[in-house]
Amino acid sequence: MNQQAVLKSLEGVLESFLEQVVSHKQPRLQVLEGINRLDDIARTSDKGLEITDSIGDWFAANNPLLSESRLRPADISRIGMILNEIKGRLDLGDEAAPATQKISSEIDRWRQTGTGHEGRKIVLRRGPETAAPTSRPHFAEEADSIDRFRSFFERARNLFEDFAGNKKHLLSALDDSLSSATIQKNRDALILSSFIIYYLKQNGYKVDPYVQRLRKAQELLKGHPHVTGG
Amino acid sequence: MLQAAEKAYCEALLALKRKDYRAAGEFFEQAAPNFAQDKEFCLLRETTRLLLVVKQKLGKYENEDTIVIEEAFSNGQETELL
Repeated sequence: MNQQAVLKSLEGVLESFLEQVVSHKQPRLQVLEGINRLDDIARTSDKGLEITDSIGDWFAANNPLLSESRLRPADISRIGMILNEIKGRLDLGDEAAPATQKISSEIDRWRQTGTGHEGRKIVLRRGPETAAPTSRPHFAEEADSIDRFRSFFERARNLFEDFAGNKKHLLSALDDSLSSATIQKNRDALILSSFIIYYLKQNGYKVDPYVQRLRKAQELLKGHPHVTGG
Repeated sequence: MLQAAEKAYCEALLALKRKDYRAAGEFFEQAAPNFAQDKEFCLLRETTRLLLVVKQKLGKYENEDTIVIEEAFSNGQETELL
């Protein structure tokens, strides 16, 4: 067999493997496609564009997923959070268009369905980070702690960018961060929340309600597997 | 909203579904920093990367890097150009 034939054979094997993976994951991919599309719509609404039609189409296409119970609790939680962001940007004043009001009530229906599911958790998990074995554990640990903090700091910054988005006040970003720490058991979000709370306190804000939520999130995370936003 | 890496992983899987392996490879690279510990992610990423290399090598044999131009005819009818 010449090299071209070997490559052709290998191409067939690799394509076949990927096709089978996709086929096996087809139901899951449909859900991910729905979440990704909703995320695209939310990003469009960020830019102030009209999204009523898009979100209406999304509900029409994805309602079956909910009725067929194909969504995991984490999916419902994630969709709920994105819908929450979209609803926050809908113009729901007295003169709101009927279509906008319909979308708003549809979002509420989804969110109510979401709260009916137990055991909500984050989609992505990662095990605890461990330092590589070394003959100089003390120095290695010191260097590793700096790298790990640097890594955390980067993740926390990305998280903050996600939470802040187009929010008008830091308190809104803090609200999202605390929700992520509580619902998704996200330890990065917990630390980020405490950071924001301390900053607000230093600037004269009343933070007691947020401190209580932080403590509640901390209790939930005790004994829970290490989960980060990354 | 989804984090950039989550979205990239999602887009990579959807690109695999469309058999757009080049796009899938690019999305896997974008998601890689956050999913390096995920075995399934690594398997799919490396398989896609290997497939792209194989296709590139085969392209050299088969001259697939040339642009194929197809003419389209309205209503399936060929018309004379004036």
